[in-house]
Amino acid sequence: MAFVAYSAYGGDTAMNPEMTENTLYPIAVLIDELKHDDLSLRLNAIRRLSTIAQALGPERTRSELIPFLDESIEDEDEILLAIAEELGDFVEYVGGPEQAHVLLRPLENLASVEETVVRDKAVASINKVSEGLTETALETYFVPMLKRLHGADWFTSRSSAACLFAVAYPRVSAALQEEMRQAYGQLCQDTTPMVRRAAATRLSEFVKVLQPEHVVSVAIPYFNYLSVDDQDSVRLLTVESLMTIAKALTTEEVGQYLVESFRSLCMDKSWRVRYMVAEKFVELTKVMAPHMSKEEVITIFTNLIKDVEAEVRTAICSQIPGFGELVGRDDVLEKIYPCLKELVSDPSQPVRSAFASHISGLASLFGKEATHQYLLPLFLRLLKDDFPEVRLNIISKLDKVNGVIGIELLSEQLLPAIMELAEDKQWRVRLAIIEYIPLLATQLGRDFFDEQLTHLCMSWLGDRVYSIREAATHNLKNLTDVFGVDWAKATIIPKILGLSNHPNYLYRMTTIFALTTIAPSVTPEVIQSSILPTLEGLVTDEIPNIRFNVAKSLQVLAPIMKQSTELQPLLESQVMPMLTKLSQDPDQDVQFYAQCATQAIQA
Amino acid sequence: MDISSDIATLDSWIQHLSDCKQLPEQDVKKLCDKAKEVLMKESNVQPVRCPVTVCGDIHGQFHDLVELFKIGGNSPDTNYLFMGDYVDRGYYSVETVTLLVAMKVRYKDRITILRGNHESRQITQVYGFYDECLRKYGNAEVWKCFTDLFDYLPLTALIETQIFCLHGGLSPSVDTLDQIRTLDRMQEVPHEGPMCDLLWSDPDDRMGWGISPRGAGYTFGQDISEAFNQTNGLTLIARAHQLVMEGYNWSQDKNVVTIFSAPNYCYRCGNQAAIMELDEHMKYTFLPFDPAPRRGEPHVTRRTPDYFL
Repeated sequence: MAFVAYSAYGGDTAMNPEMTENTLYPIAVLIDELKHDDLSLRLNAIRRLSTIAQALGPERTRSELIPFLDESIEDEDEILLAIAEELGDFVEYVGGPEQAHVLLRPLENLASVEETVVRDKAVASINKVSEGLTETALETYFVPMLKRLHGADWFTSRSSAACLFAVAYPRVSAALQEEMRQAYGQLCQDTTPMVRRAAATRLSEFVKVLQPEHVVSVAIPYFNYLSVDDQDSVRLLTVESLMTIAKALTTEEVGQYLVESFRSLCMDKSWRVRYMVAEKFVELTKVMAPHMSKEEVITIFTNLIKDVEAEVRTAICSQIPGFGELVGRDDVLEKIYPCLKELVSDPSQPVRSAFASHISGLASLFGKEATHQYLLPLFLRLLKDDFPEVRLNIISKLDKVNGVIGIELLSEQLLPAIMELAEDKQWRVRLAIIEYIPLLATQLGRDFFDEQLTHLCMSWLGDRVYSIREAATHNLKNLTDVFGVDWAKATIIPKILGLSNHPNYLYRMTTIFALTTIAPSVTPEVIQSSILPTLEGLVTDEIPNIRFNVAKSLQVLAPIMKQSTELQPLLESQVMPMLTKLSQDPDQDVQFYAQCATQAIQA
Repeated sequence: MDISSDIATLDSWIQHLSDCKQLPEQDVKKLCDKAKEVLMKESNVQPVRCPVTVCGDIHGQFHDLVELFKIGGNSPDTNYLFMGDYVDRGYYSVETVTLLVAMKVRYKDRITILRGNHESRQITQVYGFYDECLRKYGNAEVWKCFTDLFDYLPLTALIETQIFCLHGGLSPSVDTLDQIRTLDRMQEVPHEGPMCDLLWSDPDDRMGWGISPRGAGYTFGQDISEAFNQTNGLTLIARAHQLVMEGYNWSQDKNVVTIFSAPNYCYRCGNQAAIMELDEHMKYTFLPFDPAPRRGEPHVTRRTPDYFL
């Protein structure tokens, strides 16, 4: 064919006249690479298809490049995927929307191949390209293509066809619309489940473009076929369309046509279908509620909570707060709470994890007294769960409970559990507690905090896990911001300084980190009387890692010192001599960081 | 290239790698060239000062290596000694080995990396590193670069003349550390002989030397490790190479300790990992740790049937 013999030097009138041989040469190489034996080179050339098309101009792109790609259908899936993707953005290179229909042919082929990812990409590109097609082009090119795909023997084409209805439907003649509605119905009853799955997935999209009068007469029967399909993998996809169809109907019609299907989906024999319902339960219930009694909705909800499959129970947990809002506190307490209580000791750990994440969402609905009476016992049980993730989830949501019952009640009830978790063997649980501490501090006040928690905060500085020691230093800074410098000076700084004599270098390093971290929050006097002398003492530490961290710390302190009139002179009199000494250290890392700090101060 | 821009480049590479992003092929080549210069100066029995944190197998489990640094502290603040097996099995051998080598070049006095039996051309072609390089770079250049570099890695390390660290274990052809010092290590790991044994052997409950079920190296009994420690004035042999459920395991009357730092090895063994912190007074602490939480990956709530394991 012509394209194979193509030479980029051929002199095409459509070609950009400014292109010289220099710019054309790489194009010629790319064109050669389209046919190269090496897969990675072919792929690279496909990825730059737009460059080639630009050089060829729209006319030759249409007459030579597109037919060539059309013949590439036998290539590796990786190449086909790339072609399918590139062609989606190709409208401008073939001469704009009026010519875009030439792209349909190669994409139609790609929409029929075996590999799903290629088909999906081809379908996406067809939809993209078709948005710009004129009505005539739709009827002359798109609809016949759709018919071919729809009538093909192999399921791959028919699956792709199901995905192409929505884009064209609003823009074709009434007669064709009638045909398209019927054709979609055939796909919903196709013999292969893969096609029915595609039809179920795209039903929402199709319903959105149907005229209101057709929603009842067309969409409802289609939905009804699919929602009682013998394959659960088809039925589970109808939950999404149930929502869309319901939104397109009047309240009365929902009651008439959809409530029965909703009931049966909720009680489907396949857990995967019930899972889909459970995940969207609040949203679905809002639509269905006018046609069902409160008792019935609550019974369905509690049945899902008691479902035999852990996945379903996990999914419904996320709906607890929303459903609570919907039915109100009294019904939750009377009818749902007894089942919720059971979830605390659910045999499945993911269920308990999900429950722990969402149960605190009920606190605002319950109010102070009911939270205290009903929810706190559950929290306490969950805080003692064997799995760290469960404990973690409940702790990280405690702030929601604070707001309702107040910190005093919370701490009185939960503090013992929190103290226990502060020494949990999982470091991420300890970390979650540390992150919760500044909040506790603001609400507990200084005296209570000193009595109960200061000791704990200091002990984290000596934790075996580095990340906990690091978090502990940030925590001390936050506490200094809450309780003030005087508190820090009296309570925490002496203890930090004490660590600078620790026999293990990692804990001496914590001293340096802690002092550096709190420096922005303390007064110049503290820097002068406590921080600098401690660092000075560590300049001669035996371990190089300590010495270069002194240098790193001085680099952080420098800008803080520069801003203070009291501290500024100390840069010259105290800091520079320390750095000079460190710059002459035998260890090259110490030298390096000392030089960095010196440069930062002199800059 | 002058030193400060060298350091800036290395720092930017380490930064980039810390996000589990691979370096471009050209940069890997430059990095391996620099690493050869650093490693060729090191001894077959590389002296290491305490304090240092000793780590075992990593096997491409990049996110668990990041977890290791969260537990033990960041480099260069904490000194590290890794005892080999950075690649194969896990999904991120490329990122793992590149990061460790970059750290070695940047902070040569703060981190020591030894050779494991997987740091070899033959083994990496079977257990994943070769395929991963091919997949991530489209050709085998990066694999070639790294496997050439592996020939330069020291075989063993000696902490303060007391703790002898290596990947595998002892060899019937080696009685003294001086014998190891005279080996020519700049080669592919051979199928037999002292260099092979150091990277392949395992301690065993039976006395004396035994045939290793691995098909390379030997098993050695407590009599062997006691005699070796006695002859060389050692207090302990620290090694990796074997999965141990708690992450570390004493054996042979505390003459040998095994340290394994890949938690939930191969993403399914359910083991803890551990590292050994030695402070400046040679006091040791073992820190066990679990796999890093994998965000974004789906929760597996249905247990894999036992016959898949």
